[in-house]
Formats: sequence, C-alpha cells, structure tokens
Amino acid sequence: MRHEEVWTRLPDLLEDRDDAGLLAHVRVCADCQRQLFLLGRVDRLLRDDAVANAASRKRRRLLRGPLAAAATVATAVAILLALELPQQGRSEAFVLRTASGQSVAQAVMGHADARNVSLALTARGLPIDRGHMFVLWASDDSSSMQVGRFMVDQTGGCRVRFNLPADHPWNHFWVTRRGNAAAVATST
Amino acid sequence: MTIQPERRRPIGPAQPAPSDVELLRAVASGSEAAFAELRDRYGRAVQRVCRSVAGVEREDCEQEVFARIWRKAALYDPARGSAAAWLLTVARRTALNLGAARPPSLPIEDLPAAGERPADLDAFWLQAGLARLPERERTVIELAYYEDLSENAIARRLRVPLGSVKSWKRRGLNRLATLLGEESP
Repeated sequence: MRHEEVWTRLPDLLEDRDDAGLLAHVRVCADCQRQLFLLGRVDRLLRDDAVANAASRKRRRLLRGPLAAAATVATAVAILLALELPQQGRSEAFVLRTASGQSVAQAVMGHADARNVSLALTARGLPIDRGHMFVLWASDDSSSMQVGRFMVDQTGGCRVRFNLPADHPWNHFWVTRRGNAAAVATST
Repeated sequence: MTIQPERRRPIGPAQPAPSDVELLRAVASGSEAAFAELRDRYGRAVQRVCRSVAGVEREDCEQEVFARIWRKAALYDPARGSAAAWLLTVARRTALNLGAARPPSLPIEDLPAAGERPADLDAFWLQAGLARLPERERTVIELAYYEDLSENAIARRLRVPLGSVKSWKRRGLNRLATLLGEESP
C-alpha cells in the first residue's frame, strides 16, 4: 500500500484497529505514526467536547422551564413599569441604506443618562471588499461628529453600542470606511 | 441540511496557512487581512466563550473581544504561551468584564497566557480548528461526533453518497490532526 493512500486512510484506524494493510505500513513509517498519534488526540478532543456540549444542552433544557416562567413574569413587570413610570425618553430608529437603496443597518437611539443618548447600531451585509473596519458618524442640522469605530464579521454584520452627547438633536447617521471619510458605505 | 459550495481555503503543503502566531504579529502591525483571518478562525470559539459566561449578550461580547484583540495584539508574547491560550484569556476576561455589574476589573494588558485550564483551552482550540475546515468536512465531523450519527445516517441526512461522507470525514480529521501538530495549544 502506498504511503499517500495509507495517510489518507489513517483516520479509519480510529474505529478499526485491525486493518492489516494499514497497520503494516504504520509500523515502519514514522510520519504515519505521528499523524496517527495526533488523530488519536483529535478524536479524544472531539469526543470530550461532544460530551461537554451534550451536558450543557441538557442543563439548558432543564433550565428552560423555570427560565421561561421567570421571563414571563419579568416581561409583565417591565410592561407595568413602562406604563407606570414617567418616560425617560423614547427610542428613535434610523435605517441606513447603501447607494443602491439596500437597507444594511439600523441605528436605534435611546436614553442613556442625563448627559448621553445611547445608539445601538445593528448592521447586516455591510460591503467588506476593502476591509472590516468602519467609522460611524452622526450629525444634526448644525454640526457633525465621529461617533466611533467598529468592526464587522465576514458577513458584514455587527451589533455595537455607542454613546452620544444628549445636547444635540442627532438626526443623520452615516458609515464610512476606516481611513477614508469620503468613502461612505451607507447612510440614513 | 444541505452542503454549501466550499469557500474556505484548503489547508495543505501547497498553500500553507499562516500560523496563529504569525496572524497575531500581522494584526499587531495593523493588517486587516490578518485580523479578518483570525476572526474567521476564532469567531466561533469566541462566541462559545461569550455564551458560556452568564449574562453576556453574545454579539456585543464577540465584537468587544475582537476589538480588544485588534488593540492588544502587540502584547502577545509567544514565550508565555500559545496564541490560542492568549486569545482564550482575552475572550474570557472580556466576557467576564462585560458580564460584571461593576466596571471592568480584569486587565487585559498582563495576561498569563498559560493560565487557562487545559480542557477549556482544548475546546477553544478545537472550535477554531473546526472553523478552518471546508464546510462539508466540518459538517460531517460535527454530525459524527456531536450528533453521534453513523456514516450511513450522515449520508442520508445530507443526501450525498456514502463514499463522499467517508472521504470528507477522513480528510477533515487529517486536517485537524495536522493543525494540531502545527499549533498544539
């Protein structure tokens, strides 16, 4: 049996240790012995991880009942509080679109504290052909500011939160590529 | 479940992939391509760490972990531990800080990269290793180990020939073993 063929079939030895053809080559091949040793470690890692994963899934299943009940109570409390307590400020959502009109992100502005508003940016499918780093900008009718930098994943997606000064009526947001403020990727 | 066309770069001697250490060095010098590759490799593993730390919103956590890796990559010292160990420590500390009710208390600057539990480090490395496999190999291995399906059952589930399942499983396991040999955590 050729070395390449044995090498390809080495994982079979994890389940069937009696393959005489493979074993005959492995006995005299140091590279195959090392690979078989590593395969054994990988096999053990996968099995251990599968066991840990299954245990974790089981714990989550057991917790799901009480958690669901707790979540229902929490939701009810939140609704009651929302009805009873004076509003700290309403949230406002802005959709960011590419030049072609495609919606790729949403910015939701809400109350943070006395001096700041929070801005939650959720992006899906930002164009990543020239890098994964972007800059978010905001403006009102008289001024603009760089809100902050953020990174997206391989799908151009991210979820990130910023704070902005509350003393401006921010009403326009746009995203540029890092290092090129003119390269607007998306805007409201 | 369907098998998507492969998009990942094959791992093999013809086109050696950069090691995690090389990627971290490149990230430290500002390479976005290296950063994207590192994120591709470890995104799943980081998500899992974030998920396992109670109270942390997963996507925010992953974003913050990689932001810190981007800023702190220059602090990684290979003499103090493997790249996977350093990345796991950054992920865990970031997740703990995000999950804490108080302001961050666990510094990232001085990381004992070798301080992680071996079992946690193995699991972290494994997720990164799986992420580097072509999709069909990863899928077959996950079905075999995590769902305990036989090769016949996997072939039926994926609607592909049994020979393909055997071949993808072998190749995937061999790739993981080779990666383990190159970058043992």
